[in-house]
Amino acid sequence: MVLFWPPLDLQGYNKVPKMKKILIAVVFVQYCLVSCSKDDGVGSYVNKPLSLEVPSNFPELVYDLENNPLTEAGFELGKELFFDGRLSSNGAIACAFCHEQTFAFTHHGHTLSHGVNGGIGLRNTPPIQNMAFQKEFMWDGAATHLDFQPIIPITSEVEMGETLSNVVAKLKEDAYYQKQFKKAFEDGEINSSNMLKALSQFMVMMVSGNSKYDKYVRNEDNVSLTQTELDGLATFQSKCATCHATDLFTDQSYRNNGLSVNPRLNDKGRFVIFEDPNDLYKFKVPSLRNIEKTYPYMHDGRFATLEAVLDFYDSGAVDNGNVDPVLLRDDNTYGISLTAYEKESIIAFLKTLTDNEFLTDERFSEY
Amino acid sequence: MKLTTYACVAMLAIFLMSCSSDDNTEDLTGETGTLTLKFDNSVGDSDFIFGDTYTKSNNESYKLTTLKYLISNVSITDSEGNTFTYPYDENIFIIDEANADNEGAIHIILEGVEAADYTQVTFGIGVDQERYNLGAEGQGDFLEEAADAGMLWNWSTGYRFTRFDGTYSSDSVTDEALAIHMGSVGNAIDNYREVTLDFPNSVRVREDASPQIHIVADIAKVFDGTTSVNFSDGYDQVHTSAETTPVIADNMQGIFTVHHVHN
Repeated sequence: MVLFWPPLDLQGYNKVPKMKKILIAVVFVQYCLVSCSKDDGVGSYVNKPLSLEVPSNFPELVYDLENNPLTEAGFELGKELFFDGRLSSNGAIACAFCHEQTFAFTHHGHTLSHGVNGGIGLRNTPPIQNMAFQKEFMWDGAATHLDFQPIIPITSEVEMGETLSNVVAKLKEDAYYQKQFKKAFEDGEINSSNMLKALSQFMVMMVSGNSKYDKYVRNEDNVSLTQTELDGLATFQSKCATCHATDLFTDQSYRNNGLSVNPRLNDKGRFVIFEDPNDLYKFKVPSLRNIEKTYPYMHDGRFATLEAVLDFYDSGAVDNGNVDPVLLRDDNTYGISLTAYEKESIIAFLKTLTDNEFLTDERFSEY
Repeated sequence: MKLTTYACVAMLAIFLMSCSSDDNTEDLTGETGTLTLKFDNSVGDSDFIFGDTYTKSNNESYKLTTLKYLISNVSITDSEGNTFTYPYDENIFIIDEANADNEGAIHIILEGVEAADYTQVTFGIGVDQERYNLGAEGQGDFLEEAADAGMLWNWSTGYRFTRFDGTYSSDSVTDEALAIHMGSVGNAIDNYREVTLDFPNSVRVREDASPQIHIVADIAKVFDGTTSVNFSDGYDQVHTSAETTPVIADNMQGIFTVHHVHN
């Protein structure tokens, strides 16, 4: 650092009183020191909190923000990671590959998803929405903390096929991450804990609560439902809301709804978690928000349309040995009887759960 | 004369007082040292050796190719009842038989331990619920270490507390796969267990004294412990079952003893 001392002719210099010279020097040095201590572009922790808006018709927040406070820098870092293919072994499978925003962060049109090396998974990609209000994740509830959930797809051989250490090594080489990890976390470390916290911050912010239905129940913007939609809502509440409960449209329990077992996949569902026979073929009740966009449906994506789903409930359920008793009908078959109009109106109602604000929210968009 | 007498008496008094004060009270304030825990896996009376076949009480036999377990929350208590707990972020370790020295001991070196005379150690097997519930915030640099060592589940979330991999045989089967990967399952099954072991004699941690504690882990007791288990009953594959994992967790609690200490 070079001090530029203003040129003074020696005659004039000698005439400046000593105290004034010292003052000038001190002020000048202080200015230089202050300039040098400002952010010189490498990046340091930026504590700009981000606030999470909870819709008034939603249940309590479950994610503990105290362990991972939301900041702008943390959210931006999580977003960058979400769209980064380097989290996979072939550089091409980012989280966003299966979780596409337009389809409420599901894999559009795919029954099952394919990952690195052509690997195919067992289950349909679930949406990423309202994660902050849920305790457990994945169709079988295998992930019991949002922070740790990404470890599963990242390390799965049929999904992203990577290791945590390798991903971290790749991130460490990138100038953006070198800067952004420092901005997002006080310790500034590029490690998997911070990477996962950033991803959680991104996912926690993904709240979908502004559908037509939401505005209707909250009396916002003069939104009203059509008669068909209202009929559908009424039927839904009497025939579907036991399992698809609350304004999250799931009671977050694990249930066997009478789907036949696909012998090619032979997916035992929640059974793998505790090896409890009572859990055979049980899967997590999914939220029905944005259901219009998250086709195909069920844990293996076997139904392409909502019509197929309701036909299944009406007349397609089978006794696979452990079906939820709530679906047992008086005639000893499993299912939920629905008339043609009930099916039509339920589907009309379900479409009111589409939240276009969420699906186009630029905060969650790649570009 | 009188002055000299008084001076002599005073000096004598001081001398006597000095001699009668307790020579054992050192002031250890601020002093720290290094303490090493050496985990030594054995099977009954024998040292554990990879490739050797061991027999259980029910005549099933096994051979292990991987032997690892997770230890955390190490704390030591001194002769006055004061407890020193190793710093949280570093207080989690993988004991891996593959990392043992020639005498079969895996070293856990604890630095910055407050100087004192210690009489017992407490540690946890696995990861407690509190650390897990902190999410990524509570795991620091350990996540990657655990992942690399195969001590993190990859089809669900959480740590494997034990990893005993190998094969087993019995009257009816030969060299079937054996995998004991017990851990907690979210908050639903808490398989974390704590162990407190007394030292046969005081362990002196000082700036210039680095004691070692030789802990023996009797692997035979994993299978013939509080409960004797049969591989044929499903104990050949222990992962997240609500039935078998707590049994193994309880057995693990009883495998450790302090064999001796070096001061």
